[in-house]
Amino acid sequence: MLIGIDVGGTCTDAVLLDGGAVCATAKVETQDDLLISLGDALDNLLKGIPSHKIERVVFSTTLVTNLIAEKKYDPVGVVIMPGPGRTFSDLRDQDDVFCLNGAIDYRGREIIPLQPSQMEEVLAWLEAKGYNKVAVIGKFSTRNNSHEVKVADFINKHHPDWQVEMGHRAGGKLNFPRRIANTVLTCATRQKYRYFTKAVRDAMARRNITATVFILKADGGTLPLSASEEVPVETIFSGPAASTLGVQALTPPGETSLVVDIGGTTTDLALVLSGNPLLASKGAKIGERYTQVRALAVHSVPVGGDSVVERVGKEFIIYSERMGPAYCLGGPMPTPTDALRVMGISQIGDEDRAHEAMTILGAPLGMGVREVAQAIVNLVIDMVVVEIERMYMEWEQEPAYRVWEVIQKCKVRPQNVVGVGGGAAGFVPQIAARLGCTPILPPHAPVANAIGAAVARPTLQVNLMADTERQIYIVEEEGYQGQLAGKLDELSAVELTKSWLLKRAEKMNLRSYVDEIEIINQDVFNVVRDWQTTGRLFHISVQTPRGILAHIGTGGRFLP
Amino acid sequence: MSKKTGVIFFPAFDWAISPTHPEREERLLYTRDQMFEEGILDLPEIQQYAPRMASKHDIARVHFCVPNVEEQVLDAHRIAAGAAIDLGDRVMAGEIANGFALVRPPGHHAMRVVHGNRGFCNINNEAVLVEYLRKTYGVKKIAIVDTDVHHGDGTQDIFYHDPDVLFISFHQDGRTIYPGTGFTYELGGPGAYASTINIPLPPGVTDSGLHYVMDHLILPILKDFQPDFVVNSAGQDNHFTDPLGRMKITAQGYARLTEKLKPNLAVLEGGYAIETALPYVNLAILLALAGKDYTSVVEPEYNPAKFKESPKVTSEIGRVVEELQEIWAKRHQFDKYTLAKGTGFYQRTKPIFYDTHYIEEKQIEKVRVCDQCSGFISLDSQAYHPNGKHYRICAISIPFQSCKSCQAEAWESYEQAKGDPHFDYIYLQDKSTDTFMIYQRLGNREIRSDG
Repeated sequence: MLIGIDVGGTCTDAVLLDGGAVCATAKVETQDDLLISLGDALDNLLKGIPSHKIERVVFSTTLVTNLIAEKKYDPVGVVIMPGPGRTFSDLRDQDDVFCLNGAIDYRGREIIPLQPSQMEEVLAWLEAKGYNKVAVIGKFSTRNNSHEVKVADFINKHHPDWQVEMGHRAGGKLNFPRRIANTVLTCATRQKYRYFTKAVRDAMARRNITATVFILKADGGTLPLSASEEVPVETIFSGPAASTLGVQALTPPGETSLVVDIGGTTTDLALVLSGNPLLASKGAKIGERYTQVRALAVHSVPVGGDSVVERVGKEFIIYSERMGPAYCLGGPMPTPTDALRVMGISQIGDEDRAHEAMTILGAPLGMGVREVAQAIVNLVIDMVVVEIERMYMEWEQEPAYRVWEVIQKCKVRPQNVVGVGGGAAGFVPQIAARLGCTPILPPHAPVANAIGAAVARPTLQVNLMADTERQIYIVEEEGYQGQLAGKLDELSAVELTKSWLLKRAEKMNLRSYVDEIEIINQDVFNVVRDWQTTGRLFHISVQTPRGILAHIGTGGRFLP
Repeated sequence: MSKKTGVIFFPAFDWAISPTHPEREERLLYTRDQMFEEGILDLPEIQQYAPRMASKHDIARVHFCVPNVEEQVLDAHRIAAGAAIDLGDRVMAGEIANGFALVRPPGHHAMRVVHGNRGFCNINNEAVLVEYLRKTYGVKKIAIVDTDVHHGDGTQDIFYHDPDVLFISFHQDGRTIYPGTGFTYELGGPGAYASTINIPLPPGVTDSGLHYVMDHLILPILKDFQPDFVVNSAGQDNHFTDPLGRMKITAQGYARLTEKLKPNLAVLEGGYAIETALPYVNLAILLALAGKDYTSVVEPEYNPAKFKESPKVTSEIGRVVEELQEIWAKRHQFDKYTLAKGTGFYQRTKPIFYDTHYIEEKQIEKVRVCDQCSGFISLDSQAYHPNGKHYRICAISIPFQSCKSCQAEAWESYEQAKGDPHFDYIYLQDKSTDTFMIYQRLGNREIRSDG
C-alpha cells in the first residue's frame, strides 16, 4: 500500500492507496507545527491498517518554500568567481557578494588562476560580517570544480564548524546565476530541513512504519528522504506537481489534459501532454530569481473562489487578495463562491447571504442578482482563459536547437480540461466549453494532490560530458571529474553514462525502480583544429522514465 | 519596462556542411555554453523565441534557385532565414526593441541566382528578411550594414540595383581574402548609384581603426540615408583570433559598434574562431543590444599591449574613408543614363565561382534604365552542377516599386524567353505583386506561386 501526503498552506491531505484503489483519505488543517499535521493525517489513514502493509510513503511539503518566502533562514555569505562575461551588478545589489579572481572556461580549462592573496581577504570579510554559512560559486564550476574546492577547503580549514556549500554540488547545469541561487538557498535551508527529516523519521518510527519515505520534487519526481537532505531546495513548489500528477493518475493514460486547480485565491494551470506533465523550460522562480530546480510548467492566475469582488463605477473588479471566507460563509465581502451559489452551481454556504452579496454589487447598477453572478463567473473564466492562451503561446515559443525539433513542432491543444480543487466544479465546465474541450471532474478530486504524491515515481538523471581531446569526463550530478580510461566512442559514452545512473540508483537505494533507462540527450561534436578532427565532445543525458506508478479507478468521470 | 531584445538562438546542432568544415555543429557550441552559463536568457531585458521556417515563397521572392527551391534549400537554411523573419515581425509589431538572430547556416554570400553553396551560404538570410519586410509592411528604406571580415557579395548582388536598400560592407581587402570583391568602385547600378558602399580595409585593423570608420563614414552615411530599418549582417570574423581573417577586432570593439549602429536586427553571419571569439563576441553583442553592461566581456587571450595599430594600417584606413566620403558627397551629381553609358539597358557579365561546390557560373545581367522606377532586371545564367547536369536559365526580376511599363515589358520578356529553346528554365519574380513563376521547358510545365 502507498501513502501520499500533501502538506499545503491551509490543509494537509493524505491518501492511502492499494493498487488502483483509494482505501482511505484524510484532510486535516495544517498546524504551525507541521509534524502535528503529519501525525494527525497518518493516524486518520491508518485506522485498522497494520503498519507493515505500507510499502512507501511520499510527502510533498511547503516547508522549504515557506522558509524561503518568509526569509526564515540564516544569512549566507556569498563568494563568487565570475570570470570574464557579464558584470552581475544586479546580483551584487541583491546579495552581499565577495568576488574572487580566477576563471574557468566552457570546456573546464583554467583561464585565470586563483589569487592566493585573496583567500585571506575573503576570510577576513566573512569573519567581519559574522557569516558562518558560506556559498562558494564559480562560473563553469560544473565543468571544473577545482577553484570552488580550493576556496571551500581554505575556509573550512580555518573554520571547521562553518557550513560551506559549493556551487557544483548544489546545481549541476550550466547557468551561473541560477546556480548561485541554488547554492545560497541550499546553504540557508539545510539545517532547518534536517530538523524536519528527523522529525518525519520519528513520526514513522513511532507508528512502526518501516517503508521507504520519499519527498516529492517540483518536477513530479521523488527523492528518498535521506538524499533530499543534500538538496533541500528540490522540495520547493512540489504542491502544483502533486495535483498535476494526481490528475495524470485520475485520467486515462496518454491523454492531453489541461489541469485547472482552483483554490481560494489562486488558480494553478498545468499541462499534461500525451500523458506526461510539461516541464518548465526555465526552472522554478523564487521572487524575481530563477533557480536550477527543475519544475513542472505551472501558471498561477491570481483568482479563486475567495477572491474579493468590488464594483468600481460600472464595472466589477476581482482582486487577488482574500479578506476571509465567502460572504455566504459569513465573510465580509462578495466573492466568486457567492456567485456560484446564486447560479445554483454550488451548494456551499447560505443561499440568502449569497443573494445579499450579489445585491450589494448589482443594486447601484440596477442589475439583478443572477445577472451579477453571471458577470462575475464570466470574469473569472475570462481571466483563466486568457492565461491558458498565454501558456500555450509560451509553450510554442520554447526554443529549439536542432533542425528536427523545429520540423516536428506542432500545435497541440488539450482534449480535456480537468478540474481539481475547491472551485473546480463551478468553473471547469464553462472553461472547457470556451476551449472546446471535454470537462472532467475526477473522483477524489479534493485529494488529487495527495494521490499525485502517492503515485509519483522516483526519478534519476545523469548528465555526462566527455572531452576526448582533453581525455576527461564529468558527471554533473555527482560533481565527479575524472580521466577517460581510453578510447571513447558514442556507444561507450552512452554506456558510461548509464553505468553512472545505476551507481547513483544503488547509492540511493533505488535500484529496484530502474528497469529502463531513457536517453534524453545525445550530442556529439567534432573538435576540429586546422581541418583535423582532434577530439570529440559527448554530451549525454539519461534518466529513469518519468511517470506515475499507477492509474486510479476508471480514470475520471465525464460530465454530461 | 522598456521593450526587450528578442533572441532566436538556433545553433543547428544536427547540421553541418561536412564533419571537419568550419561550418559544422560545433560552431555555436561554446557560444551556447557561455550564454547559458551567464544566464543571459533569464535577463528581463532579453526574450528568447522559437525559430520558425521561412516559406518557399519567402525564398523565391529573393532567389532564383536552380532548378528550384527544393533542390537548393535544406530545412536548416529555411529555419535560419525564418528566424530573421520572425524577429523582423516582432520588431515591426513593436513587441521587441531589437533582435539578434543567432543562427546557422549563414547567408551573405548567396546571390540572386543560386546554383549551389558559395562561401558556406545557400540563401541570403538578410535579403529574405528585407524583401519580407517590404512586402508585408511596406518598409521603404532599409540599410544593411555588413560587419563580416568577408565582403557581403551576395547581399550586394541582390540589392545592387535597388536605390531603397543601402548596403554598406566593411571587410578585409578583397585582394587578401575570399571572395575577392568589395572594392570602393563597386557602387551599385546606374539606378542605385552609391546605395552600395564598400569599405575595403587592410589586414591588421584594430578597434580604434574600425571605430574611425564607423564615426567618420558609416554613421554619417546612415544619418544622410535615414533608413526606416537597419539590419546588421553580423559576422564575427574580424576578431583577432579568427583563423580565416587577419583583423584585430575584439569583443569590446564589436559591442561598441553595435551600440553605435543600433540595428533593429542583427543576423549572425561568419565567424570561425569558435572557441576564442564567438562565445565572447556574441555575448558582448547581445548585451550591447539589450543595453546591458558588457565591459567585463574580455577574451582570455586579449593583451592590450599587442593591440597597437600599425601607422601604415591607420593611414590606409584614413585614405579609404576619405575616398568614400568624397564619393558619398558627390553621389547626386551623376545621372543614371550617363552611368549606363547612354543606353537604355545597363549590362554586365559576371563569372561567379561557388567555392564550396566548385561550380562556375556564367551570368549576363541586364537592367532596364527607367525614369519611373529602378528598372526590371533580366539574367541569363548557366552552370554545370556537381551532378553533371548543365542548366541555362533566364530569370526576370521586377522591383518592388516598379512602374507599369517595366512591369508589362518584364512579363513580355518572360513570355518571349519561354519560346527560346536555349533556356531550360525561365523564372519571373514580380516583387510588385509578390508573384513568382517558373517555366520548365522539359515537359512544358509552368508553376505559379503567390505570397
